[in-house]
Amino acid sequence: MANGTWKIARRGNAQLPLVIVLVLAVVLVLAGKAQSGLFDQARAHLTDWMAPLLEEVHAPLDGVERWIGSIGQIFTVYSENLRLKEENARLRQWRNTSVVLQGRVRHYEALLHAVPDPRLNAVLARVIGRASRPFLRTMILDAGAENGAKAGQAVLDDKGMIGRVYLTGKRTAWVVLLTDINSRIPVTIAPGSVQAMLAGDNSPTPRLDLVESDAAVKVGDQVVSSGDGGLLPPGLPIGTVVKDGSGFRVALLADATQSESVEVLNFARPPETMPPASQLPSEAAGLPPLAPPPPQPEAAIPSSATPVAPRLKMPVIPSTTAAAAQDAGAE
Amino acid sequence: MGTTERLYAPAIQRFAAALVPLFCGLLGVVIANIPVSFVGGLVPPPLLGLVPVYFWCLVRPDLMTPAAAFAIGMLEDVMSGSPPGIWTLGFVVAYAVVARQRDSFAGLAGIAAVLGFAAAALAACATATLAVALLYAHLPPLGAVVAELAMTVAAYIPGALAVSAVHHRLVGPLRSDF
Repeated sequence: MANGTWKIARRGNAQLPLVIVLVLAVVLVLAGKAQSGLFDQARAHLTDWMAPLLEEVHAPLDGVERWIGSIGQIFTVYSENLRLKEENARLRQWRNTSVVLQGRVRHYEALLHAVPDPRLNAVLARVIGRASRPFLRTMILDAGAENGAKAGQAVLDDKGMIGRVYLTGKRTAWVVLLTDINSRIPVTIAPGSVQAMLAGDNSPTPRLDLVESDAAVKVGDQVVSSGDGGLLPPGLPIGTVVKDGSGFRVALLADATQSESVEVLNFARPPETMPPASQLPSEAAGLPPLAPPPPQPEAAIPSSATPVAPRLKMPVIPSTTAAAAQDAGAE
Repeated sequence: MGTTERLYAPAIQRFAAALVPLFCGLLGVVIANIPVSFVGGLVPPPLLGLVPVYFWCLVRPDLMTPAAAFAIGMLEDVMSGSPPGIWTLGFVVAYAVVARQRDSFAGLAGIAAVLGFAAAALAACATATLAVALLYAHLPPLGAVVAELAMTVAAYIPGALAVSAVHHRLVGPLRSDF
């Protein structure tokens, strides 16, 4: 068969599957947006399966990376040593101050019967992979559901918060970094307790979206997690405010590209329960309990009206189904 | 191997040879997505899976079908952690661009061939970016996408040399029957 004839014949046959595959790809994008769970499970299984390989590959490459990085440090080791000595002396002073202040805070808390902060458990994990893609900045940890890691938990290194777990397999977890475009966490800017949202945009310094646009924020202010929403514990160190044109950004304390070992914080705010009646303020003060409100008179229905059976009998929704329906509605 | 021998190559060998382009694409995706970086994540990894798609779409389109491009793109989605379907759509659109302009792309050589691949990679990256922008109602940072595109184009020459060697050693002798 001549070449020209073959090309024409083949093109005629190839158009149909190409169109079908294009349509399938569009359907996959839409289905993935609606139901990303299947993809996430596939990712988690794949990462679990690859985890031993990643650990083996990562160790020597880390060594090479450190060695390459250390070449440049040879020339700055003397000045770096002086700087560290000075910083160490300053930190010792701050440590003494903080010990005194910590004792004072404990004393005040005891005097005020303050509600103690929830205890935090942490899982120590090693970073076995990093990925910097246009639409995702992530790292992979060697701790997963078997170790107690769950989606939503905060991930920190020794300097500050790095990101949050967003996907867990059995033995691995994916972390969405604070710099990732999908990252949004509520933060507090101290001093002044200014509330803001820290929004990643794939740049090294995430954007700071202030809740009140005229709030007083200065360069150098400290940014910590606010704990709003109960997903993250309050007070996790994140970074310092830096100026960016008309707005503000945050220079992160942690460097996700250098972190080797991280902590996955297991934080769950305990559900609030009603105190017993004896501890309610009125009864504790010796006053009688508040009388229940009187029933509302059914004034809207005239006395001559007879109750009418509903024409359509509404099905009784079990509580779990109702909750699911509410969740679906909320989504 | 003579023409007659090629025509009568065992069916199983022909079938295996037909899977080589798909396998190369999948291998490229796996290699590119090993989450290890020598440069501290400063630049994104290239879309290595796109090189076999482009190469065999030009050289032997009967071996690199739209379904194969779909599968390679889907593995890229799963392994890269990108929003589901983004790179699948990108790879299939790049395939469609190359397949429709196959005669133009196939005649390119040297730097022009690299530019041809750059056009295909641009189609994939632009489609993925547009899809993300539509899905999430905000434009992703273009700098990262441009970096991905640049890395992919930079990886084309070694990638094309590798798939060309695979083609000549494995695929060509078994299936060059027309």
